[in-house]
Amino acid sequence: MSSIQSGRVSPSVKYDRSQGLYVPARSFTYDELAALYNQTRLDYIVPMPMNGKRMADYVQQYDVDLDASTLSLAEDRMPRGVIMLALREDRSWITRLGLVAEQRRHKVGQSLMEKSIENSRQRHVNRIQLEVIKGNEPAYRLFEKLGFTEIGELKVIRRPPGMPGLDIAPAVDSLTPLDASGIQECLSLRDERVAWTEETSSLLKSRDLRGMAASLPTGENGWLVYQYSAFELTHVALNPAVSEDMALALLYSLHKQYPMHDTKIENVPVGHTAVPAFRALGYLDAFSRIEMVLHLR
Amino acid sequence: MAHIVLIEDNPQTARMATRLLRDRSHDVQSFQTGEEGLLALFSSSPDLILMDLGLPDIDGQTVIALIRQQPTLAGTPVIAFTAWSPDVARNMAKAYGCDGVIAKPIDTRMFAQQVEAFLHSSPVEDSTAKAE
Repeated sequence: MSSIQSGRVSPSVKYDRSQGLYVPARSFTYDELAALYNQTRLDYIVPMPMNGKRMADYVQQYDVDLDASTLSLAEDRMPRGVIMLALREDRSWITRLGLVAEQRRHKVGQSLMEKSIENSRQRHVNRIQLEVIKGNEPAYRLFEKLGFTEIGELKVIRRPPGMPGLDIAPAVDSLTPLDASGIQECLSLRDERVAWTEETSSLLKSRDLRGMAASLPTGENGWLVYQYSAFELTHVALNPAVSEDMALALLYSLHKQYPMHDTKIENVPVGHTAVPAFRALGYLDAFSRIEMVLHLR
Repeated sequence: MAHIVLIEDNPQTARMATRLLRDRSHDVQSFQTGEEGLLALFSSSPDLILMDLGLPDIDGQTVIALIRQQPTLAGTPVIAFTAWSPDVARNMAKAYGCDGVIAKPIDTRMFAQQVEAFLHSSPVEDSTAKAE
């Protein structure tokens, strides 16, 4: 059993009563980090548990810096909470913040957030971003208190397997698969701001990224990129400023090609032009996140 | 007595659910991950599947979608077991082909009856809801 699962971490770590005890996430295995994270999220609105493999993929795909990510420990070495910090150029992303239930309302969350803001400053970050699940009022209030401001709302949507209805089959002039260089080229054209998890850097680190390009009878061209796995399609990205018709054509083709796959799309901005196409193809809202930022300079 | 497969990653919730169902003489097989649950389901024919929607390896909805694609399990009731808000849970359960929803946390006085209601096709009101 790992030290996290057994409840305590290595006693060799020194405890400073005035500072608490902060240990870089680098000191733990992915299985240990996943176990602690799961422990903090048992009673959350959306628990989203992970295993070691999912944690390792998460760290790699989203550029989480384990030296800048932190576990908070009590004097008896019992874990109190965890926070992760991802870094890209002059930006950072705070993620996987979780507190063990009995440690809430003791300012552990605030201390972890302050630690992450400090870690961001030390790494010359200009802008910190994060998302909070809509309805998690204590977290939202904490982020506001620390100076974060709301910039938008994102939806997590999913579609169960099933062939799309023929009654919505759109007219398409041509549909061609994209190879790896075509995918890279398309993604390099993205100029709209998207959530950290859906940025081109995140997508290009995905295993088995696939794509397709389409032309409509109107002459409009578009593309769609997605991550394929045996059971699930995720990380669906559409060309910038995609029209409703093009979104419908591309998504229809995707689900016609993979009618047995479950699909999950994270962080679709509310008001995105593809939302009517998602609805027409049977996507459901799972939950929403509020996106917030803090400018350091 | 019914054969019930429980797929639930929270050990405390799984222990509690198992104990409450075994107290009513049901045969309960419990699994903590979607993969373990699926492997077991492909070689068994339970009377009911109780499915947590948030699992550490594969999302519960994806597991349900895979169960529903198995001809041998097509008629087996699948009940979503979740702390999600009732509306979202009901819509998600219906879309993924579940027969109903049981809300978390477990109501120890009602839980076994809630599950048994789906075995007998007459759901208990309040925290248990049919998906259709």
